[in-house]
Amino acid sequence: MFDFSIVTNWVHSTLTSVMPEGWAVFIECVVIAVWIITLYALLAIALIYMERKVCGFFQCRLGPNRVGKWGCFQVFADVLKMLTKEIFNPKNADQFLYNLAPFLVIIASFLTFSCLPINKGASILDFNVGVFFLLAASSIGVLGILLAGWGSNNKYSLIGAMRSGAQIVSYELSAGLSIMTAVVLTGTMSFSGIIEYQADGWLIFKGHIPAIIAFLTYLVAGNAECNRGPFDLPEAESELTAGYHTEYSGMHFGFFYLAEYLNMFIIAAVAATIFLGGWMPLHIGGLDGFNAVMDFIPGFVWYFAKAFFVVFLLMWIKWTFPRLRIDQLLSFEWKYLMPLCMANLLLMTLMVVFGLHF
Amino acid sequence: MKNEHNTYLGLVFGAIKTLLIGMKTSIKVYFRKKVTEQYPENRKELKMFDRFRGTLTMPHNENNEHHCIACGLCETACPNDTIKVISKNIETEDGKKKRILDRYEYNLGSCIFCMLCVNACPHDAITFDQDFEHAVFDKSKLILKLNHEGSKVEEKKKEQ
Amino acid sequence: MEEIKYIEPSALRNEMLRLRNEAKMDFLESLTGMDWGVPAEDDAPGTVRGLGIVYHLESTETHERVAVKTSTLDREHPELPTVSDIWKTAKINEREVYDFYGIIFVGHTDMRRIYLRNDWVGYPLRKDDDPEKENPLRMDNEETVDETTEIELSADGTIKNKKDIIFDDEEYVVNIGPQHPATHGVLRFRVSLEGETIKKIDPILGYIHRGIEKMNESLTYPQTLALTDRLDYLSAMQNRHALCMCIEKAMGIEISERAQYIRTIMDELQRLDSHLLYYGCLAMDLGALTAFFYAFRDREKILDIFEETCGGRLIINYNMIGGVQADIHPNFVKRVKDFIKYLRGVIHEYHDIFTGNIIAQNRMKGVGVLSKEDVISYGATGGTGRASGWHCDVRKRMPYAMYDKVNFKEIIYTEGDSFARYMVRMDEIMESMNIIEQLIDNIPEGEYKVKTKPIIKVPEGQYYQAVEASRGEFGVFLESHGDKYPYRLHYRSTGLPLADIVDTACRGEKIADLITVGGTLDYVVPDIDR
Repeated sequence: MFDFSIVTNWVHSTLTSVMPEGWAVFIECVVIAVWIITLYALLAIALIYMERKVCGFFQCRLGPNRVGKWGCFQVFADVLKMLTKEIFNPKNADQFLYNLAPFLVIIASFLTFSCLPINKGASILDFNVGVFFLLAASSIGVLGILLAGWGSNNKYSLIGAMRSGAQIVSYELSAGLSIMTAVVLTGTMSFSGIIEYQADGWLIFKGHIPAIIAFLTYLVAGNAECNRGPFDLPEAESELTAGYHTEYSGMHFGFFYLAEYLNMFIIAAVAATIFLGGWMPLHIGGLDGFNAVMDFIPGFVWYFAKAFFVVFLLMWIKWTFPRLRIDQLLSFEWKYLMPLCMANLLLMTLMVVFGLHF
Repeated sequence: MKNEHNTYLGLVFGAIKTLLIGMKTSIKVYFRKKVTEQYPENRKELKMFDRFRGTLTMPHNENNEHHCIACGLCETACPNDTIKVISKNIETEDGKKKRILDRYEYNLGSCIFCMLCVNACPHDAITFDQDFEHAVFDKSKLILKLNHEGSKVEEKKKEQ
Repeated sequence: MEEIKYIEPSALRNEMLRLRNEAKMDFLESLTGMDWGVPAEDDAPGTVRGLGIVYHLESTETHERVAVKTSTLDREHPELPTVSDIWKTAKINEREVYDFYGIIFVGHTDMRRIYLRNDWVGYPLRKDDDPEKENPLRMDNEETVDETTEIELSADGTIKNKKDIIFDDEEYVVNIGPQHPATHGVLRFRVSLEGETIKKIDPILGYIHRGIEKMNESLTYPQTLALTDRLDYLSAMQNRHALCMCIEKAMGIEISERAQYIRTIMDELQRLDSHLLYYGCLAMDLGALTAFFYAFRDREKILDIFEETCGGRLIINYNMIGGVQADIHPNFVKRVKDFIKYLRGVIHEYHDIFTGNIIAQNRMKGVGVLSKEDVISYGATGGTGRASGWHCDVRKRMPYAMYDKVNFKEIIYTEGDSFARYMVRMDEIMESMNIIEQLIDNIPEGEYKVKTKPIIKVPEGQYYQAVEASRGEFGVFLESHGDKYPYRLHYRSTGLPLADIVDTACRGEKIADLITVGGTLDYVVPDIDR
């Protein structure tokens, strides 16, 4: 397995040999920031394209097929369009909050995105309470959504934002508890630690029943947290036209849009990291030849393959189910999902105590 | 509803089952053939049904002759004033006065394709063709002249 | 020609109450405003003149039918007693009459214009009104009024106009429509909310009002046919069928059995088309976009069948006075059979992906419950009525075409909620296929159209003909004075009661339920606005 820290260490030592360490760290920070933004944008484009194609295929359609071969430049064209569109402020809107909201959403998304360990030694933010940080950072987003709804001076936006607030706050509990289940098993809150723990088997294999339940509940809660169908009430198209971002145009809308897709990716990637072994290749005990071949595939390929597999799963769910109603959504969380997560946490704890896991 | 669905767990498992059935259905369709018609590309194969009402036309034979005697029945039949039959009086070779068609104006923009004009025509002079590509950039281009330049009425064959 | 009993306005209330309570006439089928002009010297005795109303009543128990008319000669301040407290549907129908004829209904609680703008001058369907003279194209926006007039009758017989507030300043009023993805057209609801709970709904109509009834008065009979497809475009066949039957009945034209068969098959295909679209749109409204595409994929095949035989897909122009436009296409029978076989094969997918889905069930069950009394009083026919246990299928009540010769079930559910309304439509898909299968192999030889005179004149009289359109009873009321133009041609809108009943169905529900209820009621806006 290729360790990316070799590259980073080499870069760091080369830089410190020609300049003071402060400068070196500064340059590294700039390079990494540019890298995050680029990766973020590229992933968003890939995801939007994937969503359109997958959605089309579910609906007996071909999806985009005009701009470029198989429509692969469609999203680039859309991004270009969005960049050139006018950003306007609605009358009587709270200008400051209205303009602040999309940035809060995108910043929250960036912060969580930085936590993702893409390859061995290639995690940008990695410290001992990484999971905790991820949960904390992702909840900044809801603030942006609430402000967007409040600041737009639009009734649809306000209803959407209120729904979103209630929904995200509720489902964060389930998402957190599901991750806690994994933390109980691995005994660490840092992402690299969790991945290292899975070197001899992914968590859903090692933790069997409670881990599988936690994986599923995390997907459901995560799906709800990033406002995607069947939990897309905050922007329920047939009820609220576009919910909290009804009044936004141009790149301000673009930020919401990007953040929505990237949040989906982050949910999928976190699920892949915690439950599916992150960049760890698939190993089957006893088949050494097979394992060697698997090791040959670089870690980031494994990582993205797993993440996109989960993304496909989420899209499959979105494009199959109808939307819930707000009271059903909340009663689902508080009456079904949360109790399940808590019972599951208890089950996992008991299992760890009695050593019933692999 | 079965009894077991009334219990808490029965409800949960019943619900999960319906969700899985839904997912099974959608993934089956995912791999089925798609029904998208790629319109401008399939222009060659795209054949409209022969009864499809595209544009009103006045068929002309190879001698540039049509059947319209400018009686104006189609004009009166039209509910939307789409047709204007402009006729002129001419003198035939044997000195008789005769009314013939000068200009058959048809406004595609206001046509509602109700078929009343075709039904009204006693000589089958007009009919709908299958051309459906009606979009133009200028509204005035929608006013079509149906009789060709220099065309005339097809003379009825003398009864034998 | 049917007998219409004339009743003096002063005696109308008592007579109507008697009909409602003693004769059990609980269904006000149609309420038509009329302008019979001013009295002339050469009027035959007993000629009814003035501004008036024609009421068509039916008893849902005995299926007895009665038609009543009344009129007033006062053209400056025409006043007639309201029946809106006897039949709830009269409330919105009387608003329509007020809008078109300026008749003020004493005792009516909401005397606002319904289709036309509030600043409209004159009453366009009066024969002496010139709508274009005083109503230029206005480029300013119409102000939404929060006030309405209640016409109160005080004890001493004087009439007092009382101002009523529809929504006060304290209420949180959300505007849904006219441009909204879930109102199925340019329908507008003003919804007063308490959190997410609906307190009151006020439907505002008229965004696609084209004055078709007014236009009809200056069109010849064949020309009026061209407009029926544009009412409820998902019942184009049935609408036109109704008008053709009405004119044929008036003129005494017997149409051939072949044409009857073809018309019945086409009506049922249209119903399939409409119900498939219903399924798709409802699924989309509830957020299941994939199911929407399934329905549209299959509906396309029906449209192809229509196109091959009739030449049109949505606006079909197929039925004609005396028969149909063209004989069925040679491929028709095979195509229809193939389609039915195909649809029977895929329909379970519809149920798998949507009907059975726990989320869809929770969204629909127990939502927007309508009682049987309400649907009858509001005149909400079709699937909506049948979901509440009302046997309102015109095909059974007053069979026409081939419907008395085929075997089919009238689908009845008694829950009255959105899920029942949905299931009625899904079961009717099966029933329609059943009807088509019984007919498709036995289409008799013969003419598809009997010859009619080139100029069609309908003998003097009043005629009413109803059909079961895709979403309820569609009626045509025709008054002819023997010309080639109708004197008055009124369409009993299927959608108007449905839009009216939304308020009853949605009070106390969530805002998301408005979408469900709207989707399951299945109104088509051009049919409401006409």
